[in-house]
Amino acid sequence: VFQGVRQAQWLTKTKLVEGLPPSVLSIVDDPAHQLEDYEERVKRVISHARLWDTTEAIPKREHYCPVLFEDLIHLCRLMSVKYPSLTKRMLARNYKIAATWERESILLQVRGLNGILMNSVAPIPPVASKEEILATEEHVLETFYPISPTIDLQEVNVYQELNSTGFRDGYPYSHPHTLFFLESANIRPNRFRPEQLRAKMLMFAFGNALAKAKVLYGNDPKALEQPIVVQSVGTDGQLFQFMVFQLNTTDLVSGDGIKNLVWIDSDQKLYEKAQCISEVKKRVVTKPAGIYGFQPDTFKKFLALYLHGTV
Amino acid sequence: MAAAAASAPPAGARATSRPAPSLRFRRRPRPPPPRFRQRPRPSATAVMAAGLCRAFGALLLSAAPLRPRFSVPPLFFPPSGVAGGVLAAACRGLGGSVPRCTTNPLWKCRVKYTVRPVGMKKTGGRDHTGRIRVRGIGGGHKRRYRMIDFQRLRYEEGAPPEPFTEKVIHVRYDPCRSADIALVAGGSRKRWIIATENMQPGDIIKNSSHIGRMAVLANEGDAYPLGALPIGTLICNLESHPGKGAQYIRAAGTCGVLLRKVNGTAIVQLPSKRHMQVLETCVATVGRVSNVDHNKRVIGKAGRNRWLGKRPHTGLWHRKGGWAGRKIKPLPPMKSYVNLPRVTAQE
Repeated sequence: VFQGVRQAQWLTKTKLVEGLPPSVLSIVDDPAHQLEDYEERVKRVISHARLWDTTEAIPKREHYCPVLFEDLIHLCRLMSVKYPSLTKRMLARNYKIAATWERESILLQVRGLNGILMNSVAPIPPVASKEEILATEEHVLETFYPISPTIDLQEVNVYQELNSTGFRDGYPYSHPHTLFFLESANIRPNRFRPEQLRAKMLMFAFGNALAKAKVLYGNDPKALEQPIVVQSVGTDGQLFQFMVFQLNTTDLVSGDGIKNLVWIDSDQKLYEKAQCISEVKKRVVTKPAGIYGFQPDTFKKFLALYLHGTV
Repeated sequence: MAAAAASAPPAGARATSRPAPSLRFRRRPRPPPPRFRQRPRPSATAVMAAGLCRAFGALLLSAAPLRPRFSVPPLFFPPSGVAGGVLAAACRGLGGSVPRCTTNPLWKCRVKYTVRPVGMKKTGGRDHTGRIRVRGIGGGHKRRYRMIDFQRLRYEEGAPPEPFTEKVIHVRYDPCRSADIALVAGGSRKRWIIATENMQPGDIIKNSSHIGRMAVLANEGDAYPLGALPIGTLICNLESHPGKGAQYIRAAGTCGVLLRKVNGTAIVQLPSKRHMQVLETCVATVGRVSNVDHNKRVIGKAGRNRWLGKRPHTGLWHRKGGWAGRKIKPLPPMKSYVNLPRVTAQE
């Protein structure tokens, strides 16, 4: 993940579109899809995660990041009062994904524990129209000579080309809906930078979508009539990255033809600063404890991605 | 006299104390080597056997000092304090007194190349026996070593031996040397190299081993064999034998000049004005080494030298030191690293 999203785009044969797709944006703007006084609730959620939920003075990132995530999911689930089909969702942690594909004579694979997956009974309908999919054919993937696209990837001996979604057949919640990535390491060098986090989100969303496509349509590389959509949210407790990935084709060997599509909305801050202990300069309180710079749009987008498949 | 000299300065005297004039040329007693921590003692017979092996090993060690290499050195365990003394007394009959080894395996035991900085241990000027070999080194800020690839023409695994290009990602300060280092990426690997003067992130540099009939117009930062460069180019990171890796002209702001090319060899003038003759297939990079204003910097205070790890000099004035004044000497003869076939009179 040296070049970040550009390298991931080449590896997954994807075209990038800035901003979220129009179907998600319409859910964001629609006032019917919002909770009552959600701003107050979200502020309380952030204060709970960042300020109140600890015995020491300041909670560490390993502690507050998952707490924040749980509380945000709880707020989203409150919407199921209006839309009962939202109850047909299931969160899965610690599951292993395996997907293998060949990209211009290089065999690539995505394996292992990724993030937290939200499964649903029904798949998300395709976001891009047929014309947009056909329009991606002219798009040329950018290469970065002299650096090869496999830089910084781990070289492994593959004895078995494995493709599995991580769940057995007959599981009722079989369609991957959203992947959540929490960067909750305490030390900064152990965390991914936003650029690298976006690339990781793209690779794992692609891996999940490809595994599902191979289960549904078989192992032959071909263009999919019914594209598969997987969403992804990555955060380190303060910055949020939203991503919607649509798998249009499993024919990834050559660089021509239909490409997959991804919509990325990057670096959305939920709040500017969370002051745990009030800042005191010369015996005068300059900054009392609390949350500063709250942005409600970020939570609206989070909720919109949650509601996307069913609304 | 020697006993009087030993007792005259107090124990633990530092180099700055002035001895009496009659003892000026008497060698000062060397400080004792560092003491060892007490370790749990094994049984007597095992200790004797181990001690014999260790004495032989120590003898071999004193004969040929260990050259630091990038490989796993054998770890030496010191004999424990009191038992060691007994052993030393027992072994003295075998080979004479020998300095004991220290618990200081060299930190350079990494075999695989990596871009991440590696922690290093400071030696403080001490060698493997624990005594000071080089004066004036010690202390200073902690440093992490970034493994520099001095062999520019190192091909990737599975790559054909052809000229290849790399892209400069990042140029940064290296605490272990005066020059700056650059992170370059090419193919599927990244490595650190010594940066040249005007290297910016985003540059493309070329590494080639091909010597054509005409000289190449080389850009700064590229690496070519000396036979392919026009005479008069400024070069750096020169190697004496092809494939050995750059060992000359690596300091900040230095550059050598390619003087002439003779048969299959090339003659280079080093920054000390000495001439050096090497095979023309030796690879060098074009341009001056980065951080050109390194010699113009002002240290400013004694503390900054201590941060760099330099301990103070002795304040004793040596009358016949010969350090002061201008020195005019003829150039030493040209150093040749080429084994030319000897022309004998019979042929």
